[in-house]
Amino acid sequence: MNEALEKLAGKNWLKNRGVFAAAETGAAVGAVLKMKTGNRETFNLLPWRVERRFTELKNIVVNNTLEGVSTLRFCAISPANSLSLDQLLYREFDLCEYLGGAEIKSLFAVCNGRKAANVIVKLANGVSGSVECSVMLPPGAEEIDRHEIIARRGVASDRAVDTQIPQSSIYAFTGKGEKRFTDTDSELFGFAPQAVNFVRSAFAVLSDPKTGKTWNRQHERLLKIVAAAKESDKTGKQFSPGLNNRKSKIGNRKWVAGEARLGGTR
Amino acid sequence: MKPLKIAMLSLTHGHTRKYYQILKANPKLEWVAACAETKEIKELFESGKHGVPCYLDEQEMYKKHPEIEAVVLASANNRHLAQVRDCAKRGLHVLSMKIPTFDMVEYDEMICLVRESGIVFQIELEMHYNPVVYRLKKLIADGTIGKILSVQATNITLCPVWAFPWQGVPEKSYGKRIPLRKGDARFRGGALCDHPHVFDLIRWLTGSDFDFVFSDVGKNIRPELEVEDMLLVNGKMRDGTAFLLDPSWSRMEERLKVPGPGWEVFPKRMEVNLIISGEKGVLACDCFGPNVYHNGAPNDRYTVQYTYFDEWIGMVDEFVDCVRNGKQPKINLKWHRQTIEAMNACYRSISSGKPERVALNCTEEQ
Repeated sequence: MNEALEKLAGKNWLKNRGVFAAAETGAAVGAVLKMKTGNRETFNLLPWRVERRFTELKNIVVNNTLEGVSTLRFCAISPANSLSLDQLLYREFDLCEYLGGAEIKSLFAVCNGRKAANVIVKLANGVSGSVECSVMLPPGAEEIDRHEIIARRGVASDRAVDTQIPQSSIYAFTGKGEKRFTDTDSELFGFAPQAVNFVRSAFAVLSDPKTGKTWNRQHERLLKIVAAAKESDKTGKQFSPGLNNRKSKIGNRKWVAGEARLGGTR
Repeated sequence: MKPLKIAMLSLTHGHTRKYYQILKANPKLEWVAACAETKEIKELFESGKHGVPCYLDEQEMYKKHPEIEAVVLASANNRHLAQVRDCAKRGLHVLSMKIPTFDMVEYDEMICLVRESGIVFQIELEMHYNPVVYRLKKLIADGTIGKILSVQATNITLCPVWAFPWQGVPEKSYGKRIPLRKGDARFRGGALCDHPHVFDLIRWLTGSDFDFVFSDVGKNIRPELEVEDMLLVNGKMRDGTAFLLDPSWSRMEERLKVPGPGWEVFPKRMEVNLIISGEKGVLACDCFGPNVYHNGAPNDRYTVQYTYFDEWIGMVDEFVDCVRNGKQPKINLKWHRQTIEAMNACYRSISSGKPERVALNCTEEQ
């Protein structure tokens, strides 16, 4: 990926240069970008933000192709050996704010251990959203996700109507079984989709380091939102990330969601 | 077995057109009469040339057709109790639409009326007879995904109020005019009231009852409605299963007074999809798909033409079997009570902004 990034930067005459570095174990995203020049800053990457489908969904919202956005319905299901539940939530919360056009104001999360989470969020602009995540696909399975934006004028989605799983550009049915291909970037042809997103997101930061600074701030915010979701599940209370929830009136209620369930509140 | 002589009341429910087909086509039923809620509905019914007499007064219909053994309660929710009282008095069996009432005092009166009169009272939750749901239930029962951890389910449709106006009137749909929450101009009685299926399915699939729910409404995509059209629900079942349900009217429609071709603006006008994560894997299920597709008349708009509707056969089979053989339907008032309790808890949660506990009902008694 470093070679591809260098090639892309050179081709576009960028002054800034950077290299990928592995993120710490258990980090929200697998890699960060370390700048080679200037003050040698490190930037957290939000690679999904450069993914073509999300770019287009964002355009559909920003350009008012949809008018009066009401609700986001996001879902992500992955194998346990690829992304953790926290990583899925981190990404989906960021997409809520990115595509919804506002910060998450409050959330209510219901989880089942470290395996599944169902979260209802409310954005500061009044848009509602659901984030449904699970890591129970078998190892090797391709992630299943869906991002649907429901508005007064129309619905936008990255999934075809009347389908349940992502579609591919090419399906090869041979004696070796079925193989699927989806290539979206001719300059980075041959890289896996996830690698393409990493390179493109790093390229976005090299092109405009302000993007990297914005993403670093967003990274800190997303960590708080993921933590808030865990706290919401643990306490059975609605949470407002960044606000002082512990002192809210909600804490005075006699009954706490989940206390009656088998095993009690975690 | 003799065909069951059946009548249809009010003719204002969204599934009315489907019943016209069922009552005529099913050999186990003999459709003897109908009673319309208004003159306009009567005229519309008669224009369909169903060959069945239609009245404007239920008492007149009963007087002229003493042979009636059962009725389809195809009326607005706020009409149900009075009609059930009359049916119980007359010993008429009832195939009820999906919401008997949201008022739990009225609900319990219905339970008493049914118990004391001995009539069969079956609630129309047709998903129980859907072949995809049969398969889903079997896969779960066979342990394909192990213990269920999480259920995500949609019951999303277009908005029916332009054809069935009572579904947008709080008093007729919810039974009362109650604001959704302080400072919100909307009232209870919208999309949630139209979509009990996923609340019912999760109980059926997990074998557990609701512990608590949290619900929030989105901004209406039809601002002119005085009831909610977008909402989300999450929570936990008593066995620990986490869930997230979407019972919204999130598919836009042409505002037809009489439903028919071209009703949908979004290509797929109705969806019941589930994603179930278990200890050993994941099941993704579309209860009404795949289908066939066209972009022909009337609007040349890409449209999903449904191919799945045979659940109504199983539902009628069960109803007739229960009446003729003195059995209790699977979806009876007692079973359905906690589903209604959960839906009421959703409205309480929308109002309070907090999770709300769902009262445990009397399912243990069944």
